[in-house]
Amino acid sequence: MAAIIADNIMSPLGSSSGANYQAVKAGKTALRLHNHEFNLPFPFTAALFSEEQKEEFTINGLTLFESLAVTSIRKALESCQIPMDNRTCLVISSTKQNISLLNIEGNPPENVLYPGHSAERIAQNVGITTTPIIVCNACISGVSALILGNRLIEMQEYDYVIVCGIDLQSPFIISGFHSLKALSETPCRPFDLERTGLNLGEAAATVILGKGNLTDKWHIAGAAIRNDAYHVSSPAPKADGCLMALEAVMKEQDACKLSVINAHGTATLYNDQMEARGICRAGLSNIPVNALKGYYGHTMGAAGILETLITLHAAEDNTIVGTKGYEELGVSGNLNIVRNNTTTAKKDFVKLISGFGGCNAAVLLTPCAPLGRENGQEIEAQHQVTITPQSVQIDNKMIDTGQLRGKALLTYLYKTYIQDYPKFYKMDALARLGFIATELLIRKERGAKGEEQGARGKRAVIFFGQSSSINADKEFLASIADPENFFPSPASFVYTLPNIVNGEVAIRNDFHGETSFYILPRKDDDIMRMVTQATMLDNYHKSIITGWLDYKSEEDYCAELRVYNVITK
Amino acid sequence: MEELILELKEQIIEVLNLEELTPEDIDPKAPLFGAGGLGLDSIDALELIVLLEKRYGIRLASAAEGKSIFTSVENIAQYVSQNRKK
Repeated sequence: MAAIIADNIMSPLGSSSGANYQAVKAGKTALRLHNHEFNLPFPFTAALFSEEQKEEFTINGLTLFESLAVTSIRKALESCQIPMDNRTCLVISSTKQNISLLNIEGNPPENVLYPGHSAERIAQNVGITTTPIIVCNACISGVSALILGNRLIEMQEYDYVIVCGIDLQSPFIISGFHSLKALSETPCRPFDLERTGLNLGEAAATVILGKGNLTDKWHIAGAAIRNDAYHVSSPAPKADGCLMALEAVMKEQDACKLSVINAHGTATLYNDQMEARGICRAGLSNIPVNALKGYYGHTMGAAGILETLITLHAAEDNTIVGTKGYEELGVSGNLNIVRNNTTTAKKDFVKLISGFGGCNAAVLLTPCAPLGRENGQEIEAQHQVTITPQSVQIDNKMIDTGQLRGKALLTYLYKTYIQDYPKFYKMDALARLGFIATELLIRKERGAKGEEQGARGKRAVIFFGQSSSINADKEFLASIADPENFFPSPASFVYTLPNIVNGEVAIRNDFHGETSFYILPRKDDDIMRMVTQATMLDNYHKSIITGWLDYKSEEDYCAELRVYNVITK
Repeated sequence: MEELILELKEQIIEVLNLEELTPEDIDPKAPLFGAGGLGLDSIDALELIVLLEKRYGIRLASAAEGKSIFTSVENIAQYVSQNRKK
């Protein structure tokens, strides 16, 4: 079991968790209207760091993204003593890392741009010697990272895991959300009848997890990630994945003990309605619900950690923070949205979050020491598919690819083996690669004996890569690079998150298990095996598709995926 | 109008990556979204909004506004011919 032993929040509202909680409690908001910021041709409301704040945390030799992460981690470390040896690991949660450095003329070198290398610089600067892991699961990344950290300690892989969630804003991200018509020009209004969209925000939030059941510390007592298997950017109308995640964390929890469900509450029409549906379907409509986007905007990779921490500090202060921007219920169901700060004697709470790629996550936090869990599951490899620009192998047997290479090879494989899914042509290159590789795996599996019928919905899809969504990033950037021809492409923007490929695979196959995309500095079989094993701690999955999935260019890509069955000992 | 309909079909195929279709495959009166049509989704609708602005200078404020316009290629052609600024 892991306990939260230290934390920090760096946001436009303050540089410590305490300062942030006090600001939120006082009703302050970091949201401001910005005209001409980043030279964008439209006004937007966002929570951005001031130039003075940026100067304060800038560290020579590091990018702004890395500087902010290092500063937040150092501040968290001030209140605890942990050894920086091979028993301490860094998990970074971020959706777009150093994306503001990507430019259309000359791309910065790989060692600056690739998230894994950036994470290594962060690790080195705070003295961590082990290989960092980046969680890139769209908006649920922060909660995903907390779940991973908790599991790694539970498995006794590490004694301490530093989990840092961080994202900064850029023309890239803001114009992308603008093209999706998801932004509200005015301060957002979660769950309100008049809500018109979200605001974006900047922040870093750090949690240090340590081993042991500590009676005076907070613990993650329940955790689940589930996929809607519905659409890559629209939440499932019946909230399937959200409901499954909620039910999983509430399985052994008495709902009467819950103080609040801290929702994602982005204030888009669809997200808030979906969450309301999920909470009602889970039978939790009498539990108070709040959302914090009216204070911070949507801080993306930081959101899951930042909002968990604010809710935690509020619980310690016997408070449920009010939902800034909320006035009149604008979602179906008789939901109990907390408008103003209220007092509570209860401590336990659920953090709920959902994101592009159809992913949903929930964690249950409690100040009591929870019981340890038995994990009696092992995984057994079934089949393997490897695709590179030069060759395709299924279970180490080369298949005829008609002398085709590069991008044409993927289209050839689609036309030869699949044919019935024209959505393939809409996918970006990374999603095409992952889609084809999983299709070939599943075809092989269907042909083999022993497939467990009816259990495929309980399948996890866990991918690892190095270059994230670099190919899609460049494509989207091309649509906004010329101010005279500024037409950001919504279809390209959606694919600038690597975990969209997990969503595509889940949709195609109706997989509702965990879907996660992890970025590593380089391919590392030991870490991939460890993280895959960690996924099994959920005790939900019957099988898992996992492996390396990386698409840098037409000449340089690799899918090396396996399907495993889960064996209960 | 026939010329505009053909142009729109070609544009739609290009921006929505409908690689397996030709303009002849698209019935100008058929629904673009949902069953029985091209099976387009919400992201495609947003991409069509970008197409109208980029190519014809027509700016739609919301996806909801696009809903009543993107019912069929013929309907889009009608709207474009009445509202185009370039």
